[in-house]
Amino acid sequence: MESEEALAGALADVACDLGFRYFALTHHVDLHQTSAAIRIHNYPDGWAHWFDEQALGLTDPVHRASNVTSVGFAWSKLPEMIALTPQDQRILELARKEGIGEGFTVPAHVPGEAHGSCSFACVTGEPLSEQNLSLLQLVGAFAFEAARRMRRNRLSQGPVQLTDRQREVVMWAARGKSDWEIAKVLGVSEATVGEHLRHAYERYGVGKRTQVAVHALFDGTIGFLDVLRR
Amino acid sequence: MAIIVEGGCPNPSTDRTLRSMFEDRKSVFVDLLKWDLPVLDGRFELDGFDDRHATYLIVAGEDGDHLGSARLLPTTRPHILDSLFAGLCAAPPPTGPEVMEITRFCLSRRHNAMRRRRTRDRLVSALASYALETGIRTYTGVAELGWLQQILAFGWDCRPLGVPARLDCGTVGALAIEIRPDTPELLAANGIWDLADAPPLPVRQAA
Repeated sequence: MESEEALAGALADVACDLGFRYFALTHHVDLHQTSAAIRIHNYPDGWAHWFDEQALGLTDPVHRASNVTSVGFAWSKLPEMIALTPQDQRILELARKEGIGEGFTVPAHVPGEAHGSCSFACVTGEPLSEQNLSLLQLVGAFAFEAARRMRRNRLSQGPVQLTDRQREVVMWAARGKSDWEIAKVLGVSEATVGEHLRHAYERYGVGKRTQVAVHALFDGTIGFLDVLRR
Repeated sequence: MAIIVEGGCPNPSTDRTLRSMFEDRKSVFVDLLKWDLPVLDGRFELDGFDDRHATYLIVAGEDGDHLGSARLLPTTRPHILDSLFAGLCAAPPPTGPEVMEITRFCLSRRHNAMRRRRTRDRLVSALASYALETGIRTYTGVAELGWLQQILAFGWDCRPLGVPARLDCGTVGALAIEIRPDTPELLAANGIWDLADAPPLPVRQAA
């Protein structure tokens, strides 16, 4: 698979063969911010535009739900997976009005990178065909990987990489420790801790310790268990 | 340090690395993943495939403790894909002297995410390098979907052998991985290739 157009064509064909009008393969990030993110879809123009205008990449209920599972799920199962807010209900209702009805989402989690997913959706009112869902899982997994490789080839640099020491400092910061406390834990000077953190800020292009912690958790550089462990 | 144990299943209690490997396997597959597997002496996870035909690739720490490992089974005799998971393959899976099955890919839970990731990279690199040295051209294996996505993302050449199925142990699929001279390069492009502190792999023969 050489180009996004070829991948989009193949996905549209497979989706159609399996009874789905729409597909959307995307990284779960705010696309205003990150030009390197993957997004390939055949949603109606109006819907995609509105979605981006609202910068919903991160808060979309389907994306949130896909962060809590590694296995594909039908959108009708969303209420069992995450707490749906009134805003979520509104998004789902708007999608239905735009003609996007029931769907099935395959999550794609690659440690060290932003989460993503590959979704397949029916036209509003059409039922989800259950029989091919296992095949969709496979299509989603391989399609996401194909898109990921294309994107990497386009970018000169790979994903953000922290040094072991930077990761360690970020992990302690995420646990709520001050520079002074981290210095004590690691047996280095407070200035050294500050230096490591500053380099980590630079690599993520952020300016606060909470932001760097969130980014590092989001892309898997540090794990939730590392942060929550006592 | 990467260690290869060829020629079958050693006695788990005779060696620190092997002991900790079988203990970690119990911790991961039985305690964490809740697979229905036999446990020896309440401590070690060993099954019928841990016999004299199995080969173990082990990444160990300086103290000898197991950090991560994989068990390789020859496909010229009964193995997991053709016996326990035959239904996962749309056609008979690849077998032969140049095809090995990767089973029990295990990362110790005694370490944090960073250390496990490093171990994972070293283990994947050791698998590729072992294949290139010994003439293995294809690895096969069964993986749960989340893990399958990660295996794809290592960058090597993977293809599905059939449609995944929902089983008691989760939704799992069968894969084949082709190992070629450019595999190290593909892994390196994904930041996985890591043989830094493992020059020639010491090969130990099991007693």
